[in-house]
Amino acid sequence: MMEELTISKRRIHWQNGLKHLLLILLCVFAIFPIYWMVISSFKGQTEIFNNSLLPSSFSPDNYTYALEHVDILGMTANTFFMAISQAVLQLVTAIMAAYALTRWKFPGSRLIYTLFALTWLVPIQATMIPNYTTLVGMGFRDSIVGVIIPNMASAFAILSLYPAFQSFPKALIEAGMMDKMSAPGVLFKLILPNIKSSIVSLGILLFINSWNEYFWPAMIVSDQGQATLQIGLRSFMSAELTSWGPLMAASVLASLPILVLYLLLQKQVIQSFVKWGIK
Amino acid sequence: MSELALSALPDLSGVSVRQQSATKRILKRITPFLFVAPALILVLFWVYRPLVQTFGLSTQMWNMNPNVEPVSVGLQNFQYIFTHPDFAQAVWNTLLYILLMLPFSVILPMAIAIATNRLGSRAKNIYRAIFFLPMIMPPVACSAVWRWLMHPINGLFNHVLTSMGVVTEGIRFLSDENWVLLSIVLIAGWKMIGFSTLMFSAGLTGIDPSYYEAASVDGHKKWYQTLTITLPLLSPTIMLMLMMSVLMTAQWTFAYIDVLTQGGPAGASTNVYYLLWTYGFKNFNSGLSSAAAVVFFIGFGILALIFTRINRKVAFYDN
Repeated sequence: MMEELTISKRRIHWQNGLKHLLLILLCVFAIFPIYWMVISSFKGQTEIFNNSLLPSSFSPDNYTYALEHVDILGMTANTFFMAISQAVLQLVTAIMAAYALTRWKFPGSRLIYTLFALTWLVPIQATMIPNYTTLVGMGFRDSIVGVIIPNMASAFAILSLYPAFQSFPKALIEAGMMDKMSAPGVLFKLILPNIKSSIVSLGILLFINSWNEYFWPAMIVSDQGQATLQIGLRSFMSAELTSWGPLMAASVLASLPILVLYLLLQKQVIQSFVKWGIK
Repeated sequence: MSELALSALPDLSGVSVRQQSATKRILKRITPFLFVAPALILVLFWVYRPLVQTFGLSTQMWNMNPNVEPVSVGLQNFQYIFTHPDFAQAVWNTLLYILLMLPFSVILPMAIAIATNRLGSRAKNIYRAIFFLPMIMPPVACSAVWRWLMHPINGLFNHVLTSMGVVTEGIRFLSDENWVLLSIVLIAGWKMIGFSTLMFSAGLTGIDPSYYEAASVDGHKKWYQTLTITLPLLSPTIMLMLMMSVLMTAQWTFAYIDVLTQGGPAGASTNVYYLLWTYGFKNFNSGLSSAAAVVFFIGFGILALIFTRINRKVAFYDN
């Protein structure tokens, strides 16, 4: 009896060890390129090519070089402006639409829901030429605003918020109406305070998606003064083909705000991605 | 429905109210539309309007210059894409991308999630925080570091491979046509694998442990339990990730292709969406781009329809 118990106990230990090993391997695979990016950014010019896993000394030279040659601060400001405006506008339009669709049944409401739901089948490349010519016609070539304008509403955000709004107790809304609350009043005073966490975590997701957005900025902005980090980094990459150190430093700087956000809100970030999946 | 009836009733029954509230009633009628209007107008204008225009452009020839009128050419654009090898190559590559992506988006994540399920420790959260990280990294920064790792002469991969004696000359991961597609898959897969593992883990936590207890009492072995309990109950997640992989792989690989290879060498790493981009913004041939867009839109639409059908039949939901 005793012997059996220790054997099964040992087997559990052995199995747990294997589980940990598997996850550690996955972690190494995931983290190594990021680690390589960070340590390469601190290596000196002679050291960068010897592929050591740790730099002998942490040199800031690559960072000063990158900051001198590309307007990283300006691009960071542009990217912040783009990501925050997009996330906020998408949240606002999504909150309003999800509220309307869940609170009232009105003629066309099903059709409207279906129109939102089907947008994910329309790839961005199937709309890019008409949208590009429209934006150019509006005079938004080379402008951050031109990137934001087609992204002010996100069907993905609407569909993500829909269940949260739908599960809000109808009785509370009716009670609010008894108190002569207006339609915006019900939204602002009753519903929003109660689904705050859903909104915040969706907002984080929208911000990260927008920060990392590549397609629209690549099409609309080429001008350095209006470039986002993604686009600026791309031109730095093609201009300085072999300056690996400064390129890694610029990459670190372009990822830094996202990394800091992740460090602070890591649980919410993971949750919002798992909950709402990938756009 | 009931709320609408409730809110409409007092207005209709109260005679005194009726006078003052003609405008109020109209306001009430249009309130829902006012709330839904911003999102609806934006989606109609930036998604459905251009989609319809793309259908129109697919039968025209136009170099996207606003001062030049598009010329109607009938089905010539479709004829062109179906008879030229670059279209077939893009479709074939996309198929390869999807197949090679599956180990990263479905197979390995599912295996890892099942193997490490119920690892009840705090370490799990640390693992998650780490292996999820690639998902949120900016794609151009990722491209930069992967290009550095894969550099044919100085990159770490080739350094390790040559010093181990596996190869004598560095592999040109991103410029050798036999390697380039695999390399792009590795980068896109690196981004997805942690996220997919989390999706499968989330699917697993929803499974009621009493099923396993019952099966253990019946004397069923672990692998048999995995086959008869875990996989059927995990089928909604499997179907979701499978569908996402099939429909989105061409999208997930787009940024890496554009930054690292531009579809080359000789089209070896292009895919269907990159082909649209090349037709449109490299060749400035909006007709070809739109015709190909129409074909892929319909093709992927049919695939999505098939998936939802299968999903309804196959996916097993634990009610």
